Amino acid sequence: MKKLIAYITTGYPDKNFTVDLINEISEYVDGIELGIPFSDPVADGEIIQEVNKRALQKGYKLQDTFEVSEKIAKNIDTYWMGYFNNFYHKGYDFMVNKAKELNVKGFIIPDLPYEEAIIYEDKFPLISFVAPTDSKERIKTILKNPKEFIYLVAYAGITGADKKEDLSEIISYIKEITKTPLFIGFGVNEKTAKEKAKDVDGVIVGSAFVKVLLEDISSNEKIKKIKEKAKIIKEAIN
Amino acid sequence: MYIPKPIYDPDERGHFDKFGGRYVPETLMPVLFELEKFYKNIRFDKDFWKEMDYYYKEYIGRPTGLYFAPNISEELGAKIYFKREDLNHTGAHKVNNTIGQVLLAKKMGKKRVIAETGAGQHGVATATAAALLGLECEIFMGEKDVKRQELNVFRMKLLGAKVHPVKSGSRTLKDAMNEAIRYWVTNARDTFYVIGTVAGPHPYPMLVRDFQAIIGYEAKAQILAKENRLPDYVIACIGGGSNAMGIFSHFLEEEKVQCIGIEAGGLGIESGKHGASLNAGEPGVLHGQMSYLLQDDDGQILEAHSISAGLDYPGIGPEHAYHFEADRVKYDYITDKEALDAFVWLSQKEGIIPAFESSHAVAYLKKLPDIKDKIVIVNLSGRGDKDMIQAKNLLDF
Repeated sequence: MKKLIAYITTGYPDKNFTVDLINEISEYVDGIELGIPFSDPVADGEIIQEVNKRALQKGYKLQDTFEVSEKIAKNIDTYWMGYFNNFYHKGYDFMVNKAKELNVKGFIIPDLPYEEAIIYEDKFPLISFVAPTDSKERIKTILKNPKEFIYLVAYAGITGADKKEDLSEIISYIKEITKTPLFIGFGVNEKTAKEKAKDVDGVIVGSAFVKVLLEDISSNEKIKKIKEKAKIIKEAIN
Repeated sequence: MYIPKPIYDPDERGHFDKFGGRYVPETLMPVLFELEKFYKNIRFDKDFWKEMDYYYKEYIGRPTGLYFAPNISEELGAKIYFKREDLNHTGAHKVNNTIGQVLLAKKMGKKRVIAETGAGQHGVATATAAALLGLECEIFMGEKDVKRQELNVFRMKLLGAKVHPVKSGSRTLKDAMNEAIRYWVTNARDTFYVIGTVAGPHPYPMLVRDFQAIIGYEAKAQILAKENRLPDYVIACIGGGSNAMGIFSHFLEEEKVQCIGIEAGGLGIESGKHGASLNAGEPGVLHGQMSYLLQDDDGQILEAHSISAGLDYPGIGPEHAYHFEADRVKYDYITDKEALDAFVWLSQKEGIIPAFESSHAVAYLKKLPDIKDKIVIVNLSGRGDKDMIQAKNLLDF
């Protein structure tokens, strides 16, 4: 059974909604990438940028991510996805202790590549990213000791783009050197999920879900719509 | 002939102590390795610097003068010299770096260069170098700055560049840099990112410093020729910090010379509206590097404020953060009002109209406590032409 990980930005429109949404979609979703809104999300496309911005305008604080995690992480695998400054500024050890206390399983930090991550490696599971620009030699270095799962970036670019690259060589090489589950993210939606999931163990879906949060419909309708999308994607990949 | 002479170099992963580094999405790491490797091969190569020397001299108009300012010197009872980077082609120090980087891009076989710009000076200098060397050029500029700096937008277009107004975030330099990085990640394979200051992921802070350090290389020889001794102070304004790093670098090996970097004090540090990352910020990670940043309790980046668009940035180059903590360089600030006064002062005393950015360094001459009988070099990083419309609205003549 291939897995579906959902990226959900914390705190838009508020933290209670985030909890309700995650509880509802957990029927079809195997894990949550709980997004920490950041002022300067350079790896993200317009949709996630906009939700980050709106969450911050609504007064999002890091504390909200802790509170949401407290309510969901016992029931579903939860990872914190955020940019490194939020972790660094609060104190990396503080974040690790909080995460452990709240049953969070790992961190996904797109601007903390292997070389900068080394000093934090033993503290807590950090998910490794592999990009389509990476050479085999580079992939071997990055994947010396992968934790939880590997995040394969589907194309050179930012989240939520309509872009495609041939990854067959990279995927078979990763499979050759490690047994850690390989998940693919970036540009995965109802239409692309089946194809993108073909040779990997699961998909990570962000923009396709978060897009609904920006629609002018009621909270209940948003939850219903995202749940429906999750169902379609989960069926498509299996 | 100028060839870089590193005095403080980062470690092999680009760290100046804890600062610097490479905090970028994995997609860009191979691109940075490629650049680092390529640059390493030519960094001290005589043929490469001979080519640079040609452009420095024949195209940019170097060496720039080290001008003794008689009227200001008399008023202050000190010997004041200005390093005239304002006389460079395109009107500021920026072109020293863009020619170098665009030349690198061309040698690496890239077909397109991109750049972020605040006031538009770096955008114009990049578009200029791209026109000269025949590469495509795309510039990212905050929508707010596009409106503030209409003339520079036209200059870039005239030079053949495409200008992308950036609508995200605060719509200024910080967001232009975010958008340039996003474009770079998306077009990582064939695009060269020409970063405008001594910031960004390794090797940029080192590379940009190497191209700008010709300022200090010349100034040191010039002051020794004129005064037969080293200066007591070297003063430069700091946004990201490239003109400052450029003039400081060759003086940093001289213990007796005190280098002073001047940040944008905006409406005053207490007002919260300023660009003084070192004087009022904390260490953090933004735009690929660890340095000092203006940020809140949660680590969200704050908007900077300055009268000068070139200093309107919430971060600073990592080498400056390093010299700040090591107490090797002194960092102070000048407010918008003090800078504007100095803008008028230099114009009327010496007949030189400085850029708003450079006016911050000029203003510090009046704040420096023990200036009497000292020899001081101020880096006049750019000319004030670009600020005329804004100045006209602020001043009553």
